[in-house]
Amino acid sequence: MIAVRASRAHRTESLALIVLRSASGFFILSIGLLIVYLAIEGTKLFTVDHKSLADFLFSASFSPDQGHVGALAFILGSLFVTGFAIAVGGPFGVAVGVFFAELAPKRVASAMKPAIEVLVGIPSVVYGWLGLTLLVPLIRNTTGSTGFGLLAAGIVLSLMILPTVVSLSEDAMRVVPDSLREGSLALGATRWETIWQVLLPAASSGISVAVILGIARAIGETLAIQLVLGNAPVIPAGLLSPASALTSEIVMDMGGAAQGSLLQHSLFAMAFLLLLIAMGLIVLVKLVARKAA
Amino acid sequence: MAQAIVVSEPLERPAKSNARGRRVVDRLATGLLWAAALFVVFLLAMFVVYMFYLGAGSISWHFLTGLPTELTAGGGVGPEIFNSFYILFLTLLMTVPIALAAGIFLQEYSQTGLFRQTVQFSAESLATVPSIVMGLFGLLVFVQTLRWGFSALAGAITLTLLNLPALMRVTQEALAGVPATYREASMALGGTKWQTIVRAVLPSAVGPMTTGIVLISGRIFGETAALIYTAGTSVAHGNGAYDFNPFHTAETLAVHLWYTHSEALIPDVDRIGNGSALVLLVMVLIFNVAARVVGRQLTVRLTGKS
Amino acid sequence: MAIAAQTDKPTLLDKMKIEDMNVYYGAFQAIKHGSLDVPENKVMALIGPSGCGKSTFLRALNRMHDLTPGARVTGKITLDGQDIYAEDVDPVTVRHRIGMVFQRPNPFPKSIFENVVYGPKIHGENNAKKLQEICERSLRSAALWDEVKDRLNRSALDLSGGQQQRLCIARVLAVEPEVILMDEPASALDPIATSKIEDLIGELKRDYTVVIVTHSMQQAARISDFTTFFLLGELIEVGTTSEIFTRPKDKRTEDYITGRYG
Repeated sequence: MIAVRASRAHRTESLALIVLRSASGFFILSIGLLIVYLAIEGTKLFTVDHKSLADFLFSASFSPDQGHVGALAFILGSLFVTGFAIAVGGPFGVAVGVFFAELAPKRVASAMKPAIEVLVGIPSVVYGWLGLTLLVPLIRNTTGSTGFGLLAAGIVLSLMILPTVVSLSEDAMRVVPDSLREGSLALGATRWETIWQVLLPAASSGISVAVILGIARAIGETLAIQLVLGNAPVIPAGLLSPASALTSEIVMDMGGAAQGSLLQHSLFAMAFLLLLIAMGLIVLVKLVARKAA
Repeated sequence: MAQAIVVSEPLERPAKSNARGRRVVDRLATGLLWAAALFVVFLLAMFVVYMFYLGAGSISWHFLTGLPTELTAGGGVGPEIFNSFYILFLTLLMTVPIALAAGIFLQEYSQTGLFRQTVQFSAESLATVPSIVMGLFGLLVFVQTLRWGFSALAGAITLTLLNLPALMRVTQEALAGVPATYREASMALGGTKWQTIVRAVLPSAVGPMTTGIVLISGRIFGETAALIYTAGTSVAHGNGAYDFNPFHTAETLAVHLWYTHSEALIPDVDRIGNGSALVLLVMVLIFNVAARVVGRQLTVRLTGKS
Repeated sequence: MAIAAQTDKPTLLDKMKIEDMNVYYGAFQAIKHGSLDVPENKVMALIGPSGCGKSTFLRALNRMHDLTPGARVTGKITLDGQDIYAEDVDPVTVRHRIGMVFQRPNPFPKSIFENVVYGPKIHGENNAKKLQEICERSLRSAALWDEVKDRLNRSALDLSGGQQQRLCIARVLAVEPEVILMDEPASALDPIATSKIEDLIGELKRDYTVVIVTHSMQQAARISDFTTFFLLGELIEVGTTSEIFTRPKDKRTEDYITGRYG
């Protein structure tokens, strides 16, 4: 009798395993399909419409009705906005992460942490809207420009990636063993000297990962920047003039793109480019993590 | 024995001490770090206050339940709110079982091997796909190729793909948090692995998992880029505000907020926008708090721990 | 209960004097009314069963308890007659003059050279030639120079356990302290490495005052001039090592020495 009961349990187990395996396999299927579909549609610009890759990447003239599909303006826009966000949000985020790991007393930390978590949860469209109603008028009033442009988008984006960088940096600092802290302090170093000269270098790979993932978030961000960027399809002329990025361009013009049109193919090529950049960043993260081990 | 001669800084070696300068640097740096953290918290508080200030005036029963208008002022966002919840529901319906199953598999069954590594890598890759790109994928496959047109289902499937990796990680962490002793005890009593998981491990993991699900729900509720070109930017007026047909277009609140500021022609854009943003913010806060509360309650209930 | 350091040389100078030290972790009192005179240029061993407070006592001597939230140190602890816990005293300067070597070697993930000159650099030394001299001198004093002189730029983490610990000692020596506190410095090492460290300590006392916590009575007997016996947070007895081990005055000391409890 024991044998019969055991075999029923075992049969359930085998069935369960099949279900579990399939669910796991679904992930592989999804990313595979995604890459394939986007690669096919994304390269139609070159395979079907016979535009040149060099044109797409290096020309800033974008008017598909007339056959020009240069995406340089958008590429540069994405790079500048992301660069700004990392230059501002990166150090800021690491600083706050260091604060939580090394300086904040427990009660203060547990009071402040929920604030960071709420920042994570705020939808990107709300960030964009905040930028639109708060930041753009502010910039307009202080500088006399329209208010739209890289500055507004950069500031909004810095804010968006902040929680990511903060929590990953904090984790990276916490992993550094206490023995290093003690050793440094026992040699007569101040707390700041210990952080700057011993702990940050020791946590450098974790912090690099934090920054890279911050970049990944920034470059894929759409709504937060589209509302404040100004959406002029030209190479950014400065912090205060309207510009465009890959993501904002896609969301702006996709609605008016007829299926199979040159515009749609251009936009999908931009999407595929974004996908490649995102995957490239993951590979980078893996390399950094491997070097640390 | 020589008596100690009292000097102004008794313990420092007189010759070349840089201790005072370093002390200053240390205090300065500490102060700056504190300032940075407080600034971030202050910023958040300011945003929340500002949004309440701006949007509170727009909130009314009519706003929350009424239909949107195309050209005139005075519209509401009733259908959009409904759609947000409806799409959230559909998405969770698909995401939770798959993520749970995959998470259990990766955490409890296969610890090494090519299949596992590929799954893990696929999940990480999916997680970095920008939401607009995922939206375009959804557009391509469901809206265009399968000819569903803009539909709630297309949006839900797209959001499922976006959130599967996060939910799978939540599952894995929840399972990892269950002590090994529970598994050992169950196996020692003759349970199969599957029985062990279902009866001994999962109950302890339900709390953290629910917290994770509710938090991710908050993110789904606010998702925009992936929905604009899958679920669409309009509501089907056929059946009034509450349309349960998953194949009809279903603009959510977040998308509406974007749409009104980009394309719409109504004169009271600001009122609608402020109110919508406030509703979104309040929902996110509710999800955040609920996640913690519900998670803790469930853990107590199912395991007797407190 | 104050205990004076009885010595057979009444002209010995006290490098550090501890009077009525109490250490609290929250409500728990880990050290009860400890008093001790630490003679200059000698090795003072702190012995006693585990958990008796020897490490706690040691850490109070270079204000390491400042780093533990909830820890409180009372009493008068002086270095050359000056109170190290006084209001206006910066712990950073205390630790410049009183160095510490830990139980587990804790080199920084940097090169050997960078590890050794970390302290001097912090304290303001920038001259490259000077730093190299300091590095060589400290590594020689730590009996490590010959083994690493060709690979100063390699990572300190590549060294063996015993070498890492000697590196940590060199690191402390580079700062030119006057007192070196050692918290069971050889307990994580194999016997050969241990005996190298013990030889080193014998040399160090020529220029430094050493206070060493050890759970090995044999080690205390081998290397120390004076020994203090701790039990449950109290200093029971202190004296020259030979006195403590051959003619202990307190029964509890005698029980410990003879192995009645571990």
